[in-house]
Amino acid sequence: MINLTIDGKKIEVEDGKTILQAAAKNDIRIPTLCYHPVLEPYAACRICVVEVGLRGKTDLLTACNTKAQEGMEVQTRSKRALGARRMNVEMLLARAPAAEPIQKLAKELGIEKTRFAVKDPNEKCILCGLCVRACEQIVGASAISFVERGTERKVTPPFGEPSEACIGCTACAYFCPTGAITYEDKYGRKVIHEELHLGPTTAIRVPIRQAVPMVPFIDTDACIHFKTGECKVCAKVCDREAVNYDAQDEVIEVEAGTIILASGFKSFDAKRIPAYGYGRFPNVISALDFERLVNASGPTGGKIKLADGSEPTAVGIVHCVGSRDENYNEYCSRVCCMYALKFAHLIHEKAHADVYNFYIDLRCFGKGYEEFYHRLLKEGTKFIRGRVSDISDMALTKHEEGKLIIRVEDTLLGMVRRIPVDMVILATGLEPGLDQNQLAKIFNISCSQDTFFLERHPKLAPMSTFSDGIFLAGTCQAPRDIPDTVAQAGGAAAEALALADKGTFALEPVTAEINKDLCSGCQVCVGLCPFTAIVYEKDEGHSEINDALCKGCGTCVAACPSGAAQQKHFRDAQIFAEIEGIFLV
Amino acid sequence: MTEAAKEKAFRVHLMVCAGTGCVSNHSFEIKEALEKEIKKLGLDNEVLVVTTGCNGFCERGPLLVVQPGNIFYQQLTVKDVPHLVEEHLLKGRPVKKLMYTPPKEKTPIPVLSDIDFFRKQVLIALRNRGLIDPEKIDEYIARDGYVAMGKALTQMTPEKIIAEITISGLRGRGGAGFPTGLKWQMVRNAVSANGGAKYLICNGDEGDPGAFMDRSILEADPHSVIEGMLIGAKAVGATQGFVYVRNEYPLAIKRMTIALEQARAYGLLGQDILGTGFDFDIKIVRGAGAFVCGEETALIASVEGRLGEPRTRPPYPAQSGLWGQPTGINNVETWANVPSIIARGAKWYASIGTPTSKGTKVFSLVGKINNTGLVEVPMGITLREIIYDIGGGIPGGKAFKAVQTGGPSGGCIPKEQLDLPIDYESLTQAGSMMGSGGMVVMDEDTCMVDVARYFLSFTQDESCGKCTPCREGTKAMLDILTRITEGKGTEEDLSLLQDMALAVKDSALCGLGKTAPNPVLTTMRYFLNEYETHIRDKKCPAHVCRQLNVYTIDEERCLNKGKGCDLCRRNCASDAIQGAKNEAHRIDQSKCIKCGVCFDVCNFGAVKVD
Repeated sequence: MINLTIDGKKIEVEDGKTILQAAAKNDIRIPTLCYHPVLEPYAACRICVVEVGLRGKTDLLTACNTKAQEGMEVQTRSKRALGARRMNVEMLLARAPAAEPIQKLAKELGIEKTRFAVKDPNEKCILCGLCVRACEQIVGASAISFVERGTERKVTPPFGEPSEACIGCTACAYFCPTGAITYEDKYGRKVIHEELHLGPTTAIRVPIRQAVPMVPFIDTDACIHFKTGECKVCAKVCDREAVNYDAQDEVIEVEAGTIILASGFKSFDAKRIPAYGYGRFPNVISALDFERLVNASGPTGGKIKLADGSEPTAVGIVHCVGSRDENYNEYCSRVCCMYALKFAHLIHEKAHADVYNFYIDLRCFGKGYEEFYHRLLKEGTKFIRGRVSDISDMALTKHEEGKLIIRVEDTLLGMVRRIPVDMVILATGLEPGLDQNQLAKIFNISCSQDTFFLERHPKLAPMSTFSDGIFLAGTCQAPRDIPDTVAQAGGAAAEALALADKGTFALEPVTAEINKDLCSGCQVCVGLCPFTAIVYEKDEGHSEINDALCKGCGTCVAACPSGAAQQKHFRDAQIFAEIEGIFLV
Repeated sequence: MTEAAKEKAFRVHLMVCAGTGCVSNHSFEIKEALEKEIKKLGLDNEVLVVTTGCNGFCERGPLLVVQPGNIFYQQLTVKDVPHLVEEHLLKGRPVKKLMYTPPKEKTPIPVLSDIDFFRKQVLIALRNRGLIDPEKIDEYIARDGYVAMGKALTQMTPEKIIAEITISGLRGRGGAGFPTGLKWQMVRNAVSANGGAKYLICNGDEGDPGAFMDRSILEADPHSVIEGMLIGAKAVGATQGFVYVRNEYPLAIKRMTIALEQARAYGLLGQDILGTGFDFDIKIVRGAGAFVCGEETALIASVEGRLGEPRTRPPYPAQSGLWGQPTGINNVETWANVPSIIARGAKWYASIGTPTSKGTKVFSLVGKINNTGLVEVPMGITLREIIYDIGGGIPGGKAFKAVQTGGPSGGCIPKEQLDLPIDYESLTQAGSMMGSGGMVVMDEDTCMVDVARYFLSFTQDESCGKCTPCREGTKAMLDILTRITEGKGTEEDLSLLQDMALAVKDSALCGLGKTAPNPVLTTMRYFLNEYETHIRDKKCPAHVCRQLNVYTIDEERCLNKGKGCDLCRRNCASDAIQGAKNEAHRIDQSKCIKCGVCFDVCNFGAVKVD
């Protein structure tokens, strides 16, 4: 440990720490510009100069890269240190008058106006070199560097042209303290409205706000370390040393007695309806896009904004996008009406814009829902009954210019209307997950016509399946809202627990069996069994039935050409005997 | 030289100076003319023409020294050659009119060592100047070259070598004056990272305006540098050396390349030198001519192929230098001093100089001085001795005003301090510094504000731009000085200039920035009245700052003496002069652009400047 004094305060720090680190630990603030904790100190701005007395000599040193030494007497605000700091800030103020950190620092140091010649009043770059060092030390790309000398010095890629070395990580812009570096987004602002991809995300994030477990993960597609092998900033700053770059996806095998399937749904892809222009018009967004936009942790901080950053004055919400439509899905997605009303309410509240709802029927079933609809009517939301035919930006009149025009047949007025709005939200419906059929196969359950999972009985066993011990919860079975899902999931959990608690379960007494002596090994039954209960034993040359899986449906019995497959308690002989008995009477 | 010539003895050697100054004054043509003439007269078996490195007395080039006899000829032209050869070499009559005659005297001085310029000099770093052909290693060896290296390699331990250098009191000749022995000890003690090599670097990035010592040594005696580095390599345990030379010195690069090849061919460089098992080799690295690369950390960055900008020390290069390895960097002149110290002993070296500064220092004496050239003088010599005895005083009977030492990093020393004995400490105390050894003499016609402005414009231009005070500060100071020389300065500018100079000096990152304000600070310290005259009276006492000059024509003189010659009117670029032949002329001040042409062209002294 090393003992020194800073501004008269006695301080003890570990060996190898800089004066700046020692000061920061003791809440003594030394202003810095070109310093960043994860980058090597550069000592170029000379703002952190402090007066250091050591062994009878005093000197002006930069705190950012001067190691603390035993017996140092540091003065961060002595006349000499402040004088040099003030002069340097004043000179930087002349160089980069538009740089906010400099303006702030100047104010702090009592500099009102610089006495030196200002070359460019809009200049922001203070030549601190954070971007250059970040690109070299963090990213490992070295795509930008200083060129020229003295006051002509500037930061640029080689020859001032777009460089192949640049991987577009924007780390330079991130490290830039003054906003002098801007970057052109390839898609403009449009990218934030693409499905589930609202703007650039950080490489380390919590998957969703409600994620379980609530821990961040590294997105290897976005992480600079996985691109260049450098960076590792997260590991450097993590006190708990929790960052592990070698972590791999792994398959976990769990033995379970009961299973609840809650595999969810997929949002309808609005691009499938080209007439609505999703993906073509930046201001036509899907319901999920809007959820992200209006979220306080979203890219705009919860402000409802158009792609150009302005606020909308009129918003259209199109209901039943992909639902109740012969061309896409015939069923009603159940949740869209209510969330569309919620959107309308939020827009009223946050953007004070006119809201138009285009609906076929409003399905505000359930407790409190109808009341919410009435509230919206009072708020002034406009409801237009009719299916939207198309959305375009082709203006016919002056007041349509620059707007999105929604063409709709107003069935209550009996006419086609054109409604100009700034933003269109498509109330996209719910669809079964992409891998629904595969899942069904794995778990030995069935799907209904619309590929949602089929329950054992719609009224009497809505969370059970035809496979014992496998239960359903939520939108994998049918579109439903959150309260319904929670209720169903509770039921499914109770059923699963009851079964697990019992520890045993009664087998179906009526199952099929195969008479080994008669079985020719033709395997007709294997393919037919809906419960994959029959396996062919290759070594022994015959098929066998797993009693635990067999549901006694009798398909194999009927199909077996040699009569080897027989239903217990319902053998051919027994049935024939019964028939004979009937005729005897 | 042909093989035959190698073994042949010659009656006379003609040492033609082939330093840069003389070469640009056609000394090679003179050499050719000499050889032609000698052949014509059938003297080619008796007389050998040798091209040497810089002789030092550059003012008088092209130079020729006839040996034996040490007869010094100067300011030769090709036309002089036939007469010279015939008279001196054939008839044995030295040609007086080609000899050097000191200003104000009438009799020429035939022998080189009798000339004041040479008499007061003590040659250690320049010990071989004018005596050997730098492109021939044999000539260097003939002058006891590589003897010191042999001694160091075979008879001395590294500790002994370092002790010898430490006792000698040799200090870095690059300017800062860090004790060389101590530096070597640091490199020796430093542990190389990952068991890697240690390096030596010869800093030949000489960039001060008006300084040409390093260039001259590299051109005139490259082997002395190589030998010095070999001794250093043995002392610190280095295996690879680099000579960093700026690309603007093509002759130095050429001669160094030849010298390295010859040393390698003789087994004096490379593997197993002199059979001692000691390996060391040297590479030349060419610099792109950035002044800041003379700063050691920037130089290292440049050698590594990175942007030439300095970094904070510590760690010093001796601890972590080139590619993170311990690296010893010394200036060309420092290296050239080493062989003599080892060969003749530390005590001999330490007997020269002052208590704190030992040995000699090479200065390039330039500016308003009669004998421009390269001089090597013992430490402790006074400025007066250099300027008046060696330099021969100020030309044109003008009064001495100041001398600028240390290049753009140094300061101006006024005539009150002419008796200052020169060493590192005294110069620093006077506000200047030793620097690499530039010495610019200024006379009464020099404006000190303009001098400060000139040096600052140099440092401003050469600042790498890494740190704020140097990049922005030198520019802002230059703006203020320019303002003052244009008559737009205010009283506040003076205090601002002072504050800035101190802040930049105090907070800049490297030596360049820390010393850049020195010319401003010293001129303000010694010549504040000139600043004040510029600001208050809007006058430049030396009439250098043209914007402050007022040109008028003495009408009486114009008419009486010059008969209204009309020369000024015809040369005036802005039609500011009215008058015609046989009339008195007048200047319309509203049109005058103060270019000073009228003043320069008037043959009758009728144009006055105020």
